Amino acid sequence: MSPVFSHGMLRLYLLKLLDESPRHGYDVIRLLEDRFMGLYAPSPGTIYPRLQRLEAEGLVTQSQEGGRKVYRITEAGREELHRRQDELDDLETEISGSVHGLAREIREEVRGTVRDLKQELKQAAREIRRQQRHENRSRRDWLGDYHRWDPHDDPHPAAPDADAAGPRLEGRLREFLAATDQLVQRAYLTEAQLRECAAILDEAFERIRGVLRERR
Amino acid sequence: MATWQIDQPQKLTFDRVRRVRVRTARGGVSVVGSDDRPTLEVSELEGPPLQVRHDGDQLTVGYERPSWPGPLAWLRQQRRHLAVLSLAVPRDCEVDVEVVAGSLMVSGMRAPVRAKSVSGEVTLAGCAGQVEANTVSGAVQAHGVAGDLWAETVSGDLTLVEGGGTIGAKTVSGTVLLDLTTAAVQDVRVTSISGDVTIRLPRSSDLQVQLQTTSGQVASAFDELPSAGWPALRTVSGRLGAGTGRLRASTTSGHVALLRREPDVEELR
Repeated sequence: MSPVFSHGMLRLYLLKLLDESPRHGYDVIRLLEDRFMGLYAPSPGTIYPRLQRLEAEGLVTQSQEGGRKVYRITEAGREELHRRQDELDDLETEISGSVHGLAREIREEVRGTVRDLKQELKQAAREIRRQQRHENRSRRDWLGDYHRWDPHDDPHPAAPDADAAGPRLEGRLREFLAATDQLVQRAYLTEAQLRECAAILDEAFERIRGVLRERR
Repeated sequence: MATWQIDQPQKLTFDRVRRVRVRTARGGVSVVGSDDRPTLEVSELEGPPLQVRHDGDQLTVGYERPSWPGPLAWLRQQRRHLAVLSLAVPRDCEVDVEVVAGSLMVSGMRAPVRAKSVSGEVTLAGCAGQVEANTVSGAVQAHGVAGDLWAETVSGDLTLVEGGGTIGAKTVSGTVLLDLTTAAVQDVRVTSISGDVTIRLPRSSDLQVQLQTTSGQVASAFDELPSAGWPALRTVSGRLGAGTGRLRASTTSGHVALLRREPDVEELR
């Protein structure tokens, strides 16, 4: 089953509507609503991309008239429509003949719309998350040496009695991080505040480094 | 009052229906709003006969309760109960449908709708009244629901296309996708534990926005909204436009993304 078909037969129906006469996108939507007996109106967001797809396939053309786009069927579009006239007739009979057929067609239509939307939004969400992670990382780098400080680079190895004191300081650091993180989460940090906080951290780092040097 | 026992596919019509209540097990139930005479179409049936009761203006479709063989026996029995049915009822008819494993579709109603399924999918299209949808593992998908919508799933995905008004969406692990189009968004509230939440807004919205996550990541395409959190963003909140409506989303570990609608999608409006 091709993806177009899982959208019900909307594609063929679009061609049929354009075969009757050239139309604005808006007219197409209104006519589709009639077709579903007013029960359901496909959204512009789903019709527009499909018209574009039909255009890419060379089945319709599009021109600007009075500031709006008008769609027209092409010769190739007519051929496609005539080749599949039987399918379209069957569908029409089914929709007008039973509640079941109509309901199924609406469900297929909503399913197709939802699937398209899911794909589109999931991708967009992934993209924006990636961007934001990147921005946040550069923001973190801006905080300076504090986070890049690697204890292995420290030219002063710890003295033996640090076994007890060292882990305690690390514990304090973790507490500090957690507490600060909470503060930051609650506040809406501006650029100026960020700069100020970064300066405080830099200063604290320098002073801690000073203290550790002294002890040696 | 009239009753029917349906043991094979058939079609029934009624003169007046203001409320409809359906309880089935497997298969599917569709309800569409219509100006014609109320109709019940049974297109597939397996297992015991369906009971249909028309009492005043209430239509009830379901199975007779078995004489007490214990609750488990009844559950076991449900495996055989299969019915595919479609109803055409007036648009101002109240709808209350529950199925166990079947899919549900309700379309074109103006009156309140209650749709509940355990593992089946719930589809709502063009509903203007209050809508309540509830599933365990089934997906809930709605298109053009203009009234209030309350949707809740455990692991099923929730998707709303062209939504507005007042929306409540709650899930444990399903993903939530809301595509809000109308400017008339009043109050939207989304809660998820581990499912990702993605919300798309029109380019110009009048909303008080509040997004937060405990351990996921929040991302927003609206740079004017203040954000906070480190090492990942955990909250985004602030005002868009006049801030007349409200949008709140919170997750525990799911990601939250706020997207902006591209102009070409709005072009046809």
